[in-house]
Amino acid sequence: MADHNPDGDPTPRTLLRRVLDTADPRTPRRPRSARAGAQRALLETASSRRLSGQTKTIAKGRSRGARSIGRSAHVQARGHLEEQTPRTLLKNILLTAPESSILMPESVVKPVPAPQVVQPSRRESSRSSLELQLPELEPSTTLAPGLLAPGRRKQRLRLSMFQQGVDQGLPLSQEPQGNADASSLTSSLNLTFATPLQPQSVQRPGLARRPPARRAVDVGAFLQDLRDTSLAPPRPGKPAQFLAGEAEEVDAFALGFLSTSSGVSGEDEVEPLHNGVEEAEKKMKEEGVSVSEIEATGAQGPSRAEEPEGHTQVTEAEGSQGTAEAEGPGASSGDEDASSRAASPESASGTPESLQARRHHQFPEPAPPPGAAVLSSEPAEPLLVRCPPRPRTTGPRPRQDPHKAGLSHYVKLFSFFAKMPMERKALEMVEKCLDKYFQHLCDDLEVFAAHAGRKTVKPEDLELLMRRQGLVTDQVSLHVLVERHLPLEYRQLLIPCAYSGNSVFPAQ
Amino acid sequence: MALSTIVSQKKQIKRKAPRGFLKRVFKRQKPQLRLEKSGDLLVHLNCLLFVHRLAEESRTNACESKCRVINKEHVLAAAKVKSRFLFLSKN
Repeated sequence: MADHNPDGDPTPRTLLRRVLDTADPRTPRRPRSARAGAQRALLETASSRRLSGQTKTIAKGRSRGARSIGRSAHVQARGHLEEQTPRTLLKNILLTAPESSILMPESVVKPVPAPQVVQPSRRESSRSSLELQLPELEPSTTLAPGLLAPGRRKQRLRLSMFQQGVDQGLPLSQEPQGNADASSLTSSLNLTFATPLQPQSVQRPGLARRPPARRAVDVGAFLQDLRDTSLAPPRPGKPAQFLAGEAEEVDAFALGFLSTSSGVSGEDEVEPLHNGVEEAEKKMKEEGVSVSEIEATGAQGPSRAEEPEGHTQVTEAEGSQGTAEAEGPGASSGDEDASSRAASPESASGTPESLQARRHHQFPEPAPPPGAAVLSSEPAEPLLVRCPPRPRTTGPRPRQDPHKAGLSHYVKLFSFFAKMPMERKALEMVEKCLDKYFQHLCDDLEVFAAHAGRKTVKPEDLELLMRRQGLVTDQVSLHVLVERHLPLEYRQLLIPCAYSGNSVFPAQ
Repeated sequence: MALSTIVSQKKQIKRKAPRGFLKRVFKRQKPQLRLEKSGDLLVHLNCLLFVHRLAEESRTNACESKCRVINKEHVLAAAKVKSRFLFLSKN
């Protein structure tokens, strides 16, 4: 940026700026942007820390360090920066800066922060923090003092030291906001106070670097452009039927755009989906609400597109069928629908790449639907066979089923206990025995409960039953059996056990 | 613990008790009665022991007849023998 002093007499501030400047361009070198951003932040922090540390001791040392940082540039600078925090760095600068800038706050500070403020946290955290500090300086002076100081004090010891000095020198006005108010430079002192806020916020992960923000914008812009382009050529003036168009688009996507797009990336897909929807809408206006609904669901969950896609594809197949009809004279029959249904998932999977390309272009949509329809008809047959049987299988479950299912559990246990292969007839016999056993069991329990004058069957009745059966004897108690045969969870429920706090579970 | 633990299990045996199934069966049989919450576990224990005894008896029968496979006759005979515990009428 601006080297206020020549190299011959570099101040920590200039050096720091230089480092920051150099660090910025350097980061792109690194393959990972995120890492670069982090690096920048680290660098900044390291340099700041180092500077701050040195500031306390020797100004020259700081300058040297800054110089070395500046010279070492990327690697070394980064290393140094990593050790220090932007805050410390800034502190150092401030410590040195006030010497020169105190008297000329505005002139020196304003121009600097102005350009810097322009670059918000997008750039390196250090930079932003640095720049933010400058604007903060200005407003801080005007703001009520002391607000920032206490908060900042707890953060850094060095800062506290500086703060003390600053407090004495200047009233602290907090508000680290980057207001570009033209305030005097006392802010330089305030800077230190303000800085801590900035660096903190900046140091928060992801704040300094804004690649995600940029991406979002880019994508949005891109999508917007797509929409504009798509809207313009196909049919201008159908924005109202967005939903309908979505449905249409679903049809168009029956090919599998949806599936592919969703599978690829949720966000991107959503965008092109919408674009495609618009286009599709233009192409086909019929699609029913169901399709649009499906489309909407598909659009909503692009990431999980698989399932909604399946639905959409099914519906789309139908829709595409309708569109095919609209486009062509072919009447959609049930088979065609089924085939289209089948085709859409297949076509979708088969043309993921083409879909993506189309997505971008948004033009081939009209072509795909007819193609999809054609495709759907062909692969429809095998799917057709599959589809009809589906509804048949679902039906009301007979009463026996759950009963048999429960019994089968014990039948399996029987075969397990037997440890020998069994015939199927033997298993059926076991089932019958179990049935009879259950009936008998319930009768016995009823008798026992009635004997005790109760309407609820309690574990005592069960114990009596087992005693009568000879399972529980004076030597073998119920608890022993429980421990032997039941898993731990049930044991805990059945056998009262003493727990801490003089409590017994289950309560007796 | 149980016998199964001693012998290597070729297949996984679920040790969970089908509590819902048991409750449903009891309700269907005796709608006027109520079953306590831990009662069904004991019922399950009872079933386990019953099945266990039945299986043992069937196995013994099959081994006595020198068959490698358990037949329904073996099972029937076992049930008949064990009916004295449950008063089952042999089918």
